[in-house]
Amino acid sequence: MADVTLNRSAAVEAARGDAQGKAANPASPRKLSRGMLCSLPVLLTLLLGFVAPLATVAAYAFATPRSFDVFRSFTLENFETIFDPANTVWTSFVWSLALATATVVLLAIIAYPIAWGLARVFGRWAGFVSVLFVFPLFVSENVRLYGWSLFFIKNGVLDGALKLIGMAGPDVLYTPGATLFGMVYVYLPFMLFPMVLGLAMVPKELVEAARDLGASRLMIWREIELPLAMPGIMIGMLLTFVLAVGAVAESKILGGQSVIVATHDIEIAFTYAQNWPLGSALALILTVIVGVLSLVAISRLDLDRILGRR
Amino acid sequence: MTGISKRDVLKIMGGAALAGPFVNMQSAFAARDKELNILCWEGYNSAQVLDPFRSEKSANVKAESLTNDPTMINRLRAGETKVWDLINVNNPWARKIMYPEGLIKPLPKDEFEPFFEKMLPQFKAPYRWAMSDDGKELLGMAQRFGPYSFVVNTDKVSRKTAEEQGWEIFNDPSLKGKYGILESDDWNVFNIFLIAGLNPFKEHDAAELEKFTETAKRIFGGAKLVGDIAAMNQALVSGEIDLHMTGGTYSVSPARADGHPNLRAVTPLKGPIDGKGGVAWIEITSTVNNPNLSPLATEFLKHVQDPAVAHTVAFAEGTFNPVAQMGNKACFDLFTKEELDAIQYDSLEEEMSRSAEYDIVPDYDKALEILTAAKRAKG
Repeated sequence: MADVTLNRSAAVEAARGDAQGKAANPASPRKLSRGMLCSLPVLLTLLLGFVAPLATVAAYAFATPRSFDVFRSFTLENFETIFDPANTVWTSFVWSLALATATVVLLAIIAYPIAWGLARVFGRWAGFVSVLFVFPLFVSENVRLYGWSLFFIKNGVLDGALKLIGMAGPDVLYTPGATLFGMVYVYLPFMLFPMVLGLAMVPKELVEAARDLGASRLMIWREIELPLAMPGIMIGMLLTFVLAVGAVAESKILGGQSVIVATHDIEIAFTYAQNWPLGSALALILTVIVGVLSLVAISRLDLDRILGRR
Repeated sequence: MTGISKRDVLKIMGGAALAGPFVNMQSAFAARDKELNILCWEGYNSAQVLDPFRSEKSANVKAESLTNDPTMINRLRAGETKVWDLINVNNPWARKIMYPEGLIKPLPKDEFEPFFEKMLPQFKAPYRWAMSDDGKELLGMAQRFGPYSFVVNTDKVSRKTAEEQGWEIFNDPSLKGKYGILESDDWNVFNIFLIAGLNPFKEHDAAELEKFTETAKRIFGGAKLVGDIAAMNQALVSGEIDLHMTGGTYSVSPARADGHPNLRAVTPLKGPIDGKGGVAWIEITSTVNNPNLSPLATEFLKHVQDPAVAHTVAFAEGTFNPVAQMGNKACFDLFTKEELDAIQYDSLEEEMSRSAEYDIVPDYDKALEILTAAKRAKG
């Protein structure tokens, strides 16, 4: 206790000294602070790698359709085309958002017990199990999805094996269900690891205390574990949703384009349609939708607590 | 403290902004005699084709492959003429789009026209698709080509039936759910028109577009899957589908070479394009209108005319195709019986004669919109 008091006093003194130093140096406001200086590389990277491309896409969205008059023309024609009641592009957005939502819900249910096991049960094996979940990420997503295609295809691994025992494989390939399966498979690690982080933040003592006080397992889960792990769960959900809403390979390879997702429509606009402004307008709308949803979710998160600053 | 002020940072940024254009200018006018950038369909980007040229010229050769023409053309339109030296696309683009738009520059006729004399008879100079509209300028070199209509599993649908029925086969309700569609939407526009009994390469009136709409909805609605070449061949081999719309030697040759000779590209006996039912493509490789074009661009075009290199191009990774240089005995003799079988050489001439050449669809934008909506309606 004495150590803590001493450390606090030293910190207060240091802060006071720093404040006095600043007051004694009137030229300092013109200088870049050390924090600003340190953040310059990140700021520049963000400016060039994130803001600039996004601004270009946004500018293209307001350019004359089927032209490259970016920054030289301004029109709302691309948005008029998209919001035209006769245009069915909205169905692609609905499919993207619905598939992403379903992926998040399914992954929350699937990943939670695994995360709980990694945080509480597997002990020294947790590292090995984590590697098993991470390892597929080293293989290209397309290769993995083609692998699943061979698994589900007629006379493939599943159908062929079942035929040996006189049964037939289910006809699931090239359906929206196969697309959803692919998304759940691909995005599992992105839900799992933030969830593990969240569950690892739940103090064991708190769970034990609740148990000593007679709380049931369900009550412990509902009143202690879930609320305390929620920041990690929310980050997993957010990450998964943002990635899943932009997914296209799953609907192409496993889904056989049984549904067209928003990113596929964007791709068509940029390629076969030779209409970059329309593709940019579609991309901008998707970005805004995902951005708003993400901001709402982030506003409910206490990032400082998750990162252990408090 | 570091002593760097906001003023210093502004000075650095200002300096960088001023220096930027000069840096670009320097790179723009830097010697490019050891550098070549190729925008192409897959095959030309393979190490088998590029590595010997790289070694021979001690050059840094970069090639980016794409799988549709409109994307490549748009890259040039977006300002990438400064980046690329060669562009390899299908036949109508050089003559009808890229040259009129100033995206490519002509080749020296005296140097390149003699190569056409050694090509297959239909490519003899002046070869229409290699020439400008006025017939004065040579705009590119021909190499790979092939018929491209549809592909069947002959164990399920005989070649004779497929050829005789032609595009009408896709109107057969009993085949619903038994066919696939290759994800190649520019070609799908042609083929939906053909299934609707219409010539794709002319302006269409409202009634014809209505027919196109109905056909597109029905054909996409009845497809088992829409996918790339790998997906189509996989589905044909496994028995998921019996045939697929849009495809030809280019798409099925890898499966045939892999031991599936029962999969066969088919060209209808007749159809609505002045009696022809098939469509064929011919690649034309042109020099980009790059302000600082690499001298290696024309060197590479000469390099791929060599019989051995032309054979390598025909059997580069990805897809296997006939090449115009097969007209040269030295080149033709390099093809084994198995290779000729993979590219269906036995019927190549008759299939090409039954095919119209790939052309621009005047109302492509509208047709693609309808087709994309039909794809969405499938869900």
